[in-house]
Amino acid sequence: MEKQLTKLLEAKNISKTFFSHKGYFTAIEDVSFDVYDGEFLVILGPGHCGKTVLLNIIAGLEEKTSGQVLYKGSPVSGVNPEISMVFQKLALMPFKTVMQNVELGLKFSGIPKARRREISQNYIDLVGLKGFEKSYPYQLSGGMKQRVGIARAYANNPKVLIMDEPFGQLDAQTRYAMQEELLKTWEQDKRTILFVTNNIEEACYLGDRIILLSQCPAKVKEIYTVDLPKPRNMISREFLDLRTKISGNTDLAI
Amino acid sequence: MDVQKKKTSLQLILWWSLPVLAVGLVIVAWVLFSANNPRLMPGPMAVIQRLIKVFEKPIAKTSLFGHAWASLKRVLTALLLAWTIGIALGILIGWNRACKAILGSIFELIRPIPPIAWIPIVIMWFGIGEFPKVLIVFIGTFVPLVINTAAGISMVDKINVDVGKMFGGNNWQILRSIVIPTALPSIFAGIRTSVSSGWTTVLAAEMIAAQKGLGALVTRGWQGSDMALVLVAVITIAIIGSLLAIFLSVLEKVVCPWKSN
Repeated sequence: MEKQLTKLLEAKNISKTFFSHKGYFTAIEDVSFDVYDGEFLVILGPGHCGKTVLLNIIAGLEEKTSGQVLYKGSPVSGVNPEISMVFQKLALMPFKTVMQNVELGLKFSGIPKARRREISQNYIDLVGLKGFEKSYPYQLSGGMKQRVGIARAYANNPKVLIMDEPFGQLDAQTRYAMQEELLKTWEQDKRTILFVTNNIEEACYLGDRIILLSQCPAKVKEIYTVDLPKPRNMISREFLDLRTKISGNTDLAI
Repeated sequence: MDVQKKKTSLQLILWWSLPVLAVGLVIVAWVLFSANNPRLMPGPMAVIQRLIKVFEKPIAKTSLFGHAWASLKRVLTALLLAWTIGIALGILIGWNRACKAILGSIFELIRPIPPIAWIPIVIMWFGIGEFPKVLIVFIGTFVPLVINTAAGISMVDKINVDVGKMFGGNNWQILRSIVIPTALPSIFAGIRTSVSSGWTTVLAAEMIAAQKGLGALVTRGWQGSDMALVLVAVITIAIIGSLLAIFLSVLEKVVCPWKSN
């Protein structure tokens, strides 16, 4: 890797236990990792192993039981304005058009209408939704909705983009196409991406590094550095070797 | 393809004709019943004659339209008040935990009381003028609005609020541009309930003490054994009630365009 590795984000010994009247449940146990500036980091883990909770903690949407999140070396609590997120459940506003959904963050930060329209249009075009600005989410397909979520996150101009299983609900064809587009976009503007998935192939295709999480409670099992050049050939020898290696090390979620 | 097309147009005719058929059946039943029991139920012709007479010889110096407008005016005044105060209060109860703890319990207590039950108290306190009638309708419309609005606001998915936080919204921005619009369909359900409840309550209030209004017409007909007059009032009530319902469903399509599918 020719890049200078500077730590942008650090997760330090993060644990999360939920308490309820039935007892307690540990979702995350002592998870630590670094996120380097400009890298495409994939967090891979079986379903329902606390990945979303981990992301919410990093994004400041959820309290942690113990541990620390450092951003540029200093601890943060609460929502970090330099992080933006593509939500697993999409969470588009059904009452807003594509344009209004994308410009949400810009509107909140008080950017004048003409300017925020211009920025949002740029990202709407980038994700290939030109012509759908005035459509409501219910008029869009699953893949298109996901693109709105991505454009919305980009429009907020974050330093770090967190993507929580963004392609999980898409069919295989759309999924491949979206992965490719995402890589293209990432190569254009070199933002740091923290990408969560439960799909090994997707992880191998996208990640500069892959953090493999264990079955519940989530712990860091292994960190892989992937040196294959992008775009990667999914049926090359090296790719399949990597895939087999990670696959053998993964806890199956049934 | 052609068969398919034919089938759908046939179905379309069927779906349009069924409601007409149903209403027609009610009218036929009415004609038959009134022909056999003329003392219990006047027939359609008698009702139409009575309708003409209402215009020729107005009751309480007011035409049928005057009576209908008197009722509508009371409902609309009460509704405007209930919508502003009820929705605001509902949002407060749904959004703020302290408000919910204090006010929410009061509303849970008031909710099962039928609005008509307030009539004796209101008449005793405020007499039988215009204000007590509007107040009774207000009570009947206000409560469902508060309850529906509060429920809608508190049911907004946490993830929508998370999106607001993630994109840098403060509490007020999140409430205004995410939570309230998300709850709008529930608020609208409350509005719909409030309109039908208001229309019911105003008639009850007018039947007990009023000179003008459709409820007063019902009472007048009842006390004078003039069943045709009662039916004139009842049919007017039904027509205005349905028009209000149609108006509301159009309004909902305008206010919540994303729900049209």
